[in-house]
Amino acid sequence: MSILNRRLFLGASAAALAAPSLLGAQTMPIKLGSLTPLTGVGGTYGPSMRDAISGVINQVNEAGGLLGREVVLVSEDTQTSPEAAVRAARKLIDVDGVAAILGTWASSVTTAVAPLAWESRTMLMCVSGADSITQLPHQGFICRTQPNAELQINTAGEFMLREGATQLAWIGRQTPFAELSIHVLEKIAAENDFGMDSLIYEADKTTYRSEVDQILRSNPDFILLGGYAADTVVLLRDLWQAGYEGQIVGPAYAVNPSVLDTLPKDVTEGVFTWEGAPAVESAAYANVQQILGVEDVDPYSAQTYDHANLSILAMAAGEGTTGDTIQSNLRLISQGDGALVDNAVDGLAMLSGGINYSGASGPCDFDDIGDIVGTQFVFKLISNGVASVHSRT
Amino acid sequence: MLSYFLANLTFAGIYALLALGLNVIWGMAGMINLGLAGFFALGAYASSIATVYLEFPIVLGVSLGVMVAATAGGVLSQLSLNLRGDYLAIVTLGFGELIRLIATNETWLTNGSDGISGVPGPFRSSLTPLAFNAVACALVISTVLVAWFISERIRKAPFGRALRAIRDDEMAAAVAGKPVRLYKIQAFAIGSALLGLAGAAYAHFNSYVAPDIFRPLLTIYIFFALTAGGTGNTLGAVFGAVLVIALLEGTRFIEPFFESLSGVQAASIREIVIGATLIFVMRFRPKGIFAERPPRPLGTSD
Repeated sequence: MSILNRRLFLGASAAALAAPSLLGAQTMPIKLGSLTPLTGVGGTYGPSMRDAISGVINQVNEAGGLLGREVVLVSEDTQTSPEAAVRAARKLIDVDGVAAILGTWASSVTTAVAPLAWESRTMLMCVSGADSITQLPHQGFICRTQPNAELQINTAGEFMLREGATQLAWIGRQTPFAELSIHVLEKIAAENDFGMDSLIYEADKTTYRSEVDQILRSNPDFILLGGYAADTVVLLRDLWQAGYEGQIVGPAYAVNPSVLDTLPKDVTEGVFTWEGAPAVESAAYANVQQILGVEDVDPYSAQTYDHANLSILAMAAGEGTTGDTIQSNLRLISQGDGALVDNAVDGLAMLSGGINYSGASGPCDFDDIGDIVGTQFVFKLISNGVASVHSRT
Repeated sequence: MLSYFLANLTFAGIYALLALGLNVIWGMAGMINLGLAGFFALGAYASSIATVYLEFPIVLGVSLGVMVAATAGGVLSQLSLNLRGDYLAIVTLGFGELIRLIATNETWLTNGSDGISGVPGPFRSSLTPLAFNAVACALVISTVLVAWFISERIRKAPFGRALRAIRDDEMAAAVAGKPVRLYKIQAFAIGSALLGLAGAAYAHFNSYVAPDIFRPLLTIYIFFALTAGGTGNTLGAVFGAVLVIALLEGTRFIEPFFESLSGVQAASIREIVIGATLIFVMRFRPKGIFAERPPRPLGTSD
C-alpha cells in the first residue's frame, strides 16, 4: 500500500513537472527573424522593411495566430555590414531559433549570412540582386523577391533600344552588377552595330568632372547609370554642368526622391528611372500602404511584406514551424493553380483548397534556384523634379 | 545558445589577435596603425585565394596569409620610417583603404564586391554547426594563447624594452645605441603578422570574405579594445577584445526591456551604449582597465 502510494506519488509528480514543458511546446510562440539594415548605408530602407514584417505578424496574431500559436518578430540590425550581420544572424538562429530570416538587403550581407542559414536549416529570404547569391549551394534555403541583376540590366538595355539609343554608355561604381551591366550593354551594342563605352569610377568622391569628360568623349546619346544615391547626386550634377544633352536612365534606388529633392529641377529634367514594379493595383499593396501609413511604398518594404506572408503560409501548409517546413512548402503556396490570395490571414483560411500567394511586390513565383520570375518593371520619367510613370513592361 | 556563445567566443578570440597585433605596433613601439583592417584583409584574402582557387590545405593558406601581411607591414613601415604620429596615421589609414579598393576592383583576383564564398573551415563539412563552432573556438583560443605568450616574451625581452624606449623617446634610444629603424620595422612586421593571422582565422571561420567586411569601423573597434583594456598591456588587449564583443552582443539583449521602442531606436540605443562606455572608460581609466606596468627583467626572481 505504502509502496503503491509512493509510486503513484512519484508518477503523479513527474507528470505534473513534465506537463508545463509539454504544454509549452504547444503554446510557445513561433519566431520569425527580421534582419534589415536599421543603421548604416541601408538605414533609409531597413526600418520600414521591418515594420512591414511586423504589420503582417500583427494581422496574423489578431486573426488567431498560426497553427494555434502566436507569431513573434525578433528584429536585428545588419548595420549594413556583413561582419555585424553574421553575428546578428547567429543570434537569431542559435538563441532565438527563428524559422526564417527575412529582409537582408545588401548582397554582401546576404552572401555572408547564407552559409549559416543553410547549415542550420533556416530559411533566408532576401531583397539582394547579385546573381551569385542564388548560385550558392543553398539546398533551397534561399529565395529572393528582387529580380536578379541580369534581368534588371537586360530590361534597361531593351528600354534604351526602344527609346532610340544609338551610342550607349555605362558609368557607375564597382558593385556586383558593374561588370555584368557592361557585358550586357556591349552585347546589345554589338547586335545592333552601336558604339558602347563604359567607366567604373571610385565611390565617395565629391566630383566626377574628369570621369564625365572621359565618358562623353565617345559622344553617347543614352547613358545607363550604375551607382548608388550618394554618388549619383554628384554624377548627375556634373553631367549637367558638362552640357550633356542625351538621355539618361538610372535605377530607382539611385535616382530616389531624396536625390530629386537635393538637385535643382533642371539637372534631373528628362532622366528616366526603372525598377521592379510593386503591384500597385493589388490589395496587398494597399495593405502595406495601410501598415506603413504611407502613400508610396518602397519596393523593399513591399518585398519584406511578402516574405512574412510567404513564410507564415508555408509553415501553415506544412504544419510545421521550422526552416525545413518553409523550404519544402514555399512553392506549394506561392505558385500553381490554387486560389489567388494576397495576405496571410485570407491564405490561412483558404489553405485547404490550395492557394497561390501573389503579393505587394508581384506574383512571387520562384524558379528552382530561388530566383523570382515574372517580375514587372516600371519606367518613370522625371519632369519638374517629380517622377511619373512613363511605361511598364 | 551554446553554439551562439562559442561563435562569439571565437569572434572575441579573433578580435584579441587583432588587439595583440596592434599592441605590438602601437602599444609597445608607439607607431599608430589605422590601416589595421587592411592587414586583416590581406591575411583573409591571401588565405582564401590560396585555399579556394589554388586548393592549398588550410594550414598552408593561413601561413601564407600571415606571411603576406607581415611582408606588407615590413614594407609599409620601411617606406614610412620617417613619419611619426599623425602623419603615420594618415599613411596607414590610406593603406587600409587602398587594400579595400584593390579588393573591390581587381575582380580577376578577388572576385570584386561579390567576394569569395565557400572558404573551407577545418572539418566544416563533416560537423554539425555546433561541433564546428566548438572546434573553431578551441583552435582560435589556443592561437590566442600562443600569440599572448609570444607577446609577453617580446614585452619582457630586451627587444621589448628597446621598443618602449623608442616609443617614449626615439632620439634617446638611438643615442643609447639601439638600432631604431630596424627595430621599428621588425615590430611593425611582427604586429602585422598577428593581424594577418586574425584575418585568415576570420576567413576560415566565416567562410566568406568581401571588401565590405574590411571597413574602417573594425579598426575603431580594435582601438577601442586596446585602449579600454590598457595600451601596452597584453592581458589588457585580450580583455579589451572580449569586452568589445560582450558589449556588441550583450546590447542585443536589452531590446526586450524597451518594448515601446521601434527597431531603429533599439538599434540606436545599442550604438549609444557602446559609445558611452568608451567615453566612461576614457574618462575614468585613461590608461585602460589594466594599465601598462614595466615588467621585471627576465630571470629575476620574485
